[in-house]
Parts: sequence; structure tokens; C-alpha cells
Amino acid sequence: MSEKVSSAAQAQMAEEPKLSPAELKKRAKAEKQARRAAQKEQEGAPAIPPPTANGVPHGQASQHDEVRQEKKAKIVQAKSVQQSKSSGSQESKGERVAPSSAQSLPARGKTTVAAKEEAKVDSTVVELLSHLYPIQRRANMSGVSKDVHPAVLALGLQISSYEICGSSARCIAMLHAFKEAIHAYTTPRDTSLPRHLVSHYLSPQIEYLRSCRPLAESMGNAIRWLKKLIIEIDPDKPEHEAKNLLSEEIDRFIHERIVVTDQAIAASASKQIREGSVVLTYAKSNIVQKTILQAHAQGTRFRVIVVDSRPLFEGKRLATSLMHAGLEVEYVPFSGLAHVVKDATLVLLGAHSMLSNGRLQSRIGTASVALRAHIADVPVIVCCESVKFAGKVALDSIVLNELAPPEELLLPPSHAPIVPTNTKDTPEAAESNKTKTLHDWASIPNLQLLNPMYDITPAEYIRMVICEYGSVPPSSVPVVHRLANEGM
Amino acid sequence: MPSALAPPTPSLTTYLRSLDEAPLDKSITTLISLLKRRQIRSSRSCALATTKLLIRVVEAGEDGSDGKWSSTQALIAHIRTVGRKLISAQPKEIVIGNIVRRVLGVIREVADRDSETVADLSGSEISGPTSPITITGERSVLPMRLSEFSPRDVLSGRPGTADSVASSTFSSPAAAPQQRPNLMTAPTGTSLFSILQHPQTQTRSTSSPYATPPAGTQSPALRPSPTFKSTISTIPEGGESLDIKAEVLDGLAELLDELSVVDTQIAESALEHIHSGEVILTHGSSRTVQRFLLTAAGKKRRFTVFVAELYPNDHLAVHDTLVNGSLPPVSPEDEGLGEKGRWKALTAAGVTVVLVPDTAVFALMPRVNKVLLSPHAVMASGSLLAAAGTETICLAAKEHRVPVVVLAGVYKLSPVYPFDEEGMVEYGDPSKVVGFAEDGRFIDGVDVVNPISDFVGAEGVGLYVTNLGGCAPGYLYRVVGDHYRNEDIELGRD
Repeated sequence: MSEKVSSAAQAQMAEEPKLSPAELKKRAKAEKQARRAAQKEQEGAPAIPPPTANGVPHGQASQHDEVRQEKKAKIVQAKSVQQSKSSGSQESKGERVAPSSAQSLPARGKTTVAAKEEAKVDSTVVELLSHLYPIQRRANMSGVSKDVHPAVLALGLQISSYEICGSSARCIAMLHAFKEAIHAYTTPRDTSLPRHLVSHYLSPQIEYLRSCRPLAESMGNAIRWLKKLIIEIDPDKPEHEAKNLLSEEIDRFIHERIVVTDQAIAASASKQIREGSVVLTYAKSNIVQKTILQAHAQGTRFRVIVVDSRPLFEGKRLATSLMHAGLEVEYVPFSGLAHVVKDATLVLLGAHSMLSNGRLQSRIGTASVALRAHIADVPVIVCCESVKFAGKVALDSIVLNELAPPEELLLPPSHAPIVPTNTKDTPEAAESNKTKTLHDWASIPNLQLLNPMYDITPAEYIRMVICEYGSVPPSSVPVVHRLANEGM
Repeated sequence: MPSALAPPTPSLTTYLRSLDEAPLDKSITTLISLLKRRQIRSSRSCALATTKLLIRVVEAGEDGSDGKWSSTQALIAHIRTVGRKLISAQPKEIVIGNIVRRVLGVIREVADRDSETVADLSGSEISGPTSPITITGERSVLPMRLSEFSPRDVLSGRPGTADSVASSTFSSPAAAPQQRPNLMTAPTGTSLFSILQHPQTQTRSTSSPYATPPAGTQSPALRPSPTFKSTISTIPEGGESLDIKAEVLDGLAELLDELSVVDTQIAESALEHIHSGEVILTHGSSRTVQRFLLTAAGKKRRFTVFVAELYPNDHLAVHDTLVNGSLPPVSPEDEGLGEKGRWKALTAAGVTVVLVPDTAVFALMPRVNKVLLSPHAVMASGSLLAAAGTETICLAAKEHRVPVVVLAGVYKLSPVYPFDEEGMVEYGDPSKVVGFAEDGRFIDGVDVVNPISDFVGAEGVGLYVTNLGGCAPGYLYRVVGDHYRNEDIELGRD
């Protein structure tokens, strides 16, 4: 045994002078790569997030992370295998060719492994909307910056799980959370509040909220307003005064631009609901709910049709609250749209945002409702606060959209169809023929689920937009936007 | 664990199995109750069940004991009675009426053939309307067009049937009739004399070469006239009632064949409509659409399909079809149809399939190249009755100028004009929308409606692809005319 070792060692010693400088370089590179690989292996293990037992929105983000870690681990493995092979071959005699081929092998191996992993990940991405991936949802706090205030942390999770849903609600909740965060903020010694607050304190909060769910237009407008406000604060103002000012201004913003506005819009829109009207609405909009309740409180007799859709079933909540208020409500799934539109005399819609080319961005399905009503000559009225007006323009529902996790489209297991087994199959055949359900969709190649959240309704289908500046046609949206959001 | 001990739920399969053993009256009642309870649901199942039941009715004979039928009129009256009962069991299932009228059409065609055989013995014209005048041997009318002229009459030398002028001009009898079969069987159009005739004797003119040819026969151009054959062969003496039953059963067997090959025939035009790189939008779990797409995918065309899931009535079937194709478990309907009912899922054939909720249709429509639909029934005006949600899709398609292609077998085509559009819409179980158990208070306070079908006007559809090929909505009336008889449209009241 020792003889072999000594002879191997002797052989190695004899080999040394024969290695050209090029070979030496290659050997050094190989060793460096081996060292890096070993380092990555150590890093790779703790970064894989622990699997959570939370509900459905386990989060595409964490899933992607896992796959990426797997990918890295595999590359590491491939590299280490190649490295050991190459180092082994260096020790043996007469394997000159092996080192060079072993050097090139890791590169080749890396691309094939990586390509396979890429392909596996991408098959669940719908190519048409690939710019909207990865889907921003969050179920845990992994990877969050330490600057994020607990109130904002909680808010992010609430938004991600649809506990707070609807752009006005999200905007108000965000401003409240920012108020708390600003209250907890202290300016560092060598800078002033206006300069430091936005870029170093608010930005991580906003980034975190974005990672929980893409920001609504109202939230975007509010943030722009807040940033402008902060930057214009006099740097010499003492900190507690500045913070009080910010707090008061945020309260005023919420009050003026959302609360009071909602009352004004409800008062104006409820005048459109006449005696004997049949009001049709889609999904759940807070402002439409307020309008209907106000009209009902004024004593007008009318009935409401609520059209609902999968997977959020927001319309059901609206129908329940209207029923509790004593209204006569008819509730149909989205497939019943054609049946109910012919009975409707007025369509009231809420908005996620109004775009500057007069188009309405709202819950997916709104465009079909508006089109159907337009064809049936039923007036379509949109109730929308000016804080939701955007400077953006869009021509289709594909570029500006948000995707929800496809898992939301899966039915809960109790609803899955009971599959009768084929008694003629042998046990082995039955195992291999085990039927898949849609829950296995990720493992089926070429099958994708798509769950878009918004769509864009063309301006021709909308008769009127009611905002706090009055009742305007959809073409006046950019005017109101300039007035309200850009201060001109 | 196999649940073999539970009694099978009544369905198409159990019904078809019981059809052979059970007495006829019981079969009729069973089908009526299956239809009333909606335990047989899809168009094709209803069509199949109705056809098989009517075959049994014909087989049973006039007295119900597998005897003969005294005349076609008796058979027609009997079928009409049974048909009325079936239709009133489920008036919203249009296909039942279609099948009943097709069967009546087959019987009438048999009756005409027989009456023509009788007429030929006395040497009347073989093409064109049978004129009562010629049967009695009187001088026939002057033929208005050359196609009414029959060279056969010249050869047989029968006086008084051919115009003397024509016989003199046609001085070369060497042109054997066999070489001119197309003249004899070509459609005559309408001669002016025919408008003065009783409409019932005009029955022959409605059978055009464009009607569904019986499976396995040659094209009309090559097929020698049946009456021509009968003059050179010996005429069977009497026994007309035996012919009726056998011939009607032949016709019905052809109808049954047609039902089973509908999908294959429709899928034959798949390559004309789908090219590579297309994006197609479809809905529901229709077998016709799946086979259509699979045929194109099998010919190596790579395309993408968006499937709207049709919540709440069809979405479970859609999920299952997308994941499993028709691999086990085989649905009861596939079993009953006796097709090679196994076909793999679209995804396995290399097609990218994206499942979307029904609400996403308008959002995706600008990027869709065509829309493929399968209806429950098609009306003669070109409008259709399809699953709820179809109108939303068609309107969005029209808005974006996307062509809508409807795949429908001819058995779904109804000769009845839809005067009452709203009355044709069927409503379903509201508990599919909101469960009674989970939300009793909600159901109590709120009116929950669940329409199952939508009525879509003819302007929403661009093209119909039937098992006879493609046609525009404006041409459907001709297809109706080829398959149904006017006198069958009104089946009377019970």
C-alpha cells in the first residue's frame, strides 16, 4: 500500500516538471473553482426557505427561490464531480487529455443543467404575459429589509391575502401604516428629515409592499403626493413638528380625497337611481355599495343585480351586505350576464383606475359587462375618486395588468370530482393510470393556468364618470388628473 | 376502492343496455323520465338515446310484437306520437326534435321510393315530380328542359311518354342510358308545371345530391337511378310492408352511423382552419372541439389554446378534460357511444393549453386568432343555443373582429324557427352557484339564478363547420331543407 502511495507520489513528482505553464494555469484555475464551489455549497444550504404550512398563497416567490437554489445546488454538484474527476486524473499517469476535457466539461454540464431547470420553470409561464411574472405575493417575511416597520409588515401580508382588497381600502390602509412608520422614525445625526426620510426610510417600506402585491394606482398617486410633501418640508423645522405636520397632512389627504369624496360621489350617483330602477353592478366596489345604500336610505324603491366571478367572489360579499340592508338582490355568476343585462336599467361600476385615454381599468370581466350593457343601450356609469386617475394610457388589457397566483383557480379538494376507478385494471395498471386532477397542473407539460386581475374597458362603452369634480365624460379624465394629482 | 356494489345511477349507458331487453313501453317511459330529470344531458347523448329508441319502435312493428307495418302512414303517425311525448319531456333539448324529424324524413323517403316504384311500372317520368297524370297513362306534359327528357323512354319505345318532337331529334339511341346517368339523377330544379301541383307529390325534388349521403354508398353522380334498376329487374310482387320496415331500419342505421362519425368528419376540416402559431380561444369540454384540435395537433401544427372554464356548470368537466383527455375513467357518455372513445389530452399532443376564467375572455381577445365553439343546437336562421357564457365570448369576438367558428354536426341543426328566443334558455340548479348547506341565509334573502344556456344571434357567428363541410350561417336553410321535410316541422300537440 505504502509502495503504491510512494510510487504515486514519485510519479507525481516526476510529472511536475513535465507540466507546461498552461497546464499549471489550468490547475490553479481548477483549484480556485473547487474552492468557490465548496464555498457556495456552504452558502446554498441555509438560504433555502423552510417550507411553511400556510394556506394557498404559498407564494410563487418562495417557489422560485427554491428552484433557483436547487439549480445552484445541482451546478455545484456537477462542478464538484468534475473537479474530483479532474484532480483524480491529474494524479494518474498519462492522462494529459483528461484535465483539459475535464475543464471544459463543467461549463457544458452547467448549461445543460441550467437549461433544463429554466425550461421546467418557464412552462408554467404564459408567454403572452411573461412580463408580469414572477407573481408578487407573499406568505412570509423571508428576505425583508430590517427597516420595514411592523405596521407595514402586517399590512403587506393583509394585502397579499386579500383581507384588504380594493384600491381605496388599500390606499387608506397604506397611508395609516406610513403614518405609524413615520412616527417611529428618527432622523440620523448628519442629515435632515426631508432628505433622508424618502430615500432611506420610506423606500424599503414601499419595496416591501410592492413585493406583497403590485401597487394600486391610488397608492401610487398617494405615494407621489407624500414624497412631494416630505421633500418640501423646511429642513430647519424640528423633527417632531415635521412629523406632526406629516401626520396631519396624511389625515387630511385621506379625509378630503377619499372619505368626503366618496360621500359626494354617492350623493351624486344616487340621483341616477330612480324609482323602479334595476341597477346592475359587478364584483364589489366600495363606492358603488355606498351609492346603493344611500339611494336606499333615501327611500327610492329599486332592485339590484350583482354579477359575480371566480375566483375572488367579491360580488357575494356585496350581495350579502345589500341583503342585510333590506334591498332586493339578484345574484348571478358571470355566465348569467346575458340573461340579466336585458332587465337592467342602469349599470354602476367601480374602478381600479381611470386611464388618460378614457379607458377604465377595473376587475377582470368588467369590460364584458360594459360591452353587453352598451349593446343593450343600458347606461354605464363609473364611480371613481380622482385619486385613482392615472396619467397612463393603455390600449389592451395585456400590457398593464396584474397576475394573481394560478393556485387560486384550483378548487378546494372537497369540490374535486369523485373519480370512479376502473375495476378491470390490474393493481399495477391502476397505479400507473392514476388519474390526475387539476391540482397536478404544474407537473403536466404544456398546461398553464392564467389568473389575470384587471381588464381595460374601452371608453366608448362608458357613458359617464362621476368623481368629486362632477360628472364628466371619459374623455375628460386627463384634465381631472392634471387638476387633482399634478396640481395644475 | 371500486364502488361496484352501489346501483348504477341512471344514465345513457344503463339506458342503452336496458333498451334491448325491456318492453317498448317501459323503454319509452324510462327515456322520458331520464330526460325530465336531466340525467341525460348533452346533445349527443340525447340524440343517441332518441335514435335507438325510435329504432326499437320501428322494429316492434304496428302491433308491438316485431310484426310488420301496414303502411308508411301508420308508421309515421306512430313515430309522431312517440316523438311528441319525448319532445314535451324536455322541450329545451332541441336535438330530440331534430332526431324525430330526421326519422320521419327517412320514412317519408322510403315511402316515396316505394311510390315511385309503383309509378314506374306504369311508365312515368323518372326525374322531376311524379305527375298524377302520367300514372294513369295519359299523355305527359311537354318537357320544359332537356333534363326532363328520358332517353330510356325512347329505348323502351313507350308511346305517349316522350315527346314526339324530342324522339325525332334524338335520333341516335346508341347513347346507352348507362352512360348518361347524371342526367337522370341531376336535380331538375323546378319546372313551371310543378308549382301547380300538390306539394305532397313534390317530395322527390327535395332530395338533392347535397343531402347527407348514406354511409358507404357512392356519390350521386355515379349512382344509377334506383328506379332505372327496378325496371330492368323483376319487380317484387306485393310485400310492400316488409320493404317498409327493412328500408326504414336501413335508413335509421345510416342515421346512427352518422351520429357516431360526426366528430371524425368534422375533424377532417381541422387542417383547413388551423395553422401553426395560431392562438385559439374555446370553451367547455366539448368532445367535438377536442377532436378537432387534436387532429390539427397530430399533423404537427403548433398552436396555443385558451380554454374558458364555464363556471359553474361545466368547469369540472373542463378541468378533467384538459388534464386527462378521455383516458380512464371513461365517462358514461363515451362508453355508451361505442366510439373508440379514448383520446389523449391536448397537452399530451404538444398543444399549449391555458385555462382561463370566463371573465378573462375580453382581455385576451385582441391576441386571439379565432374562436372555436360547440353549441347545444343550431337554428335554421343561423343562430345558436350554446352554453351560458357563449354570448359574452361572441360579442367580444365581434368587437375585436375575431372570426367565430362553430363546430356542429347536422343532427344539431333544427328546422324550427326560433320565434321565442328567451323561452329557449334553460335554467339550472342554483346550488351550483351558492350551496344550500353553506349559505342558507344567503339563498333565502337573495334570488340566485343559474342559466345553463345562452341564445346567440346569427350575426355573432362567422362560420359553421358541420360534418358535411363548412357553410356560412346564411346557407343553413339549405342544409335544413336537405334533411328535413316541411310537413314534419309541425309535430302537433299531444
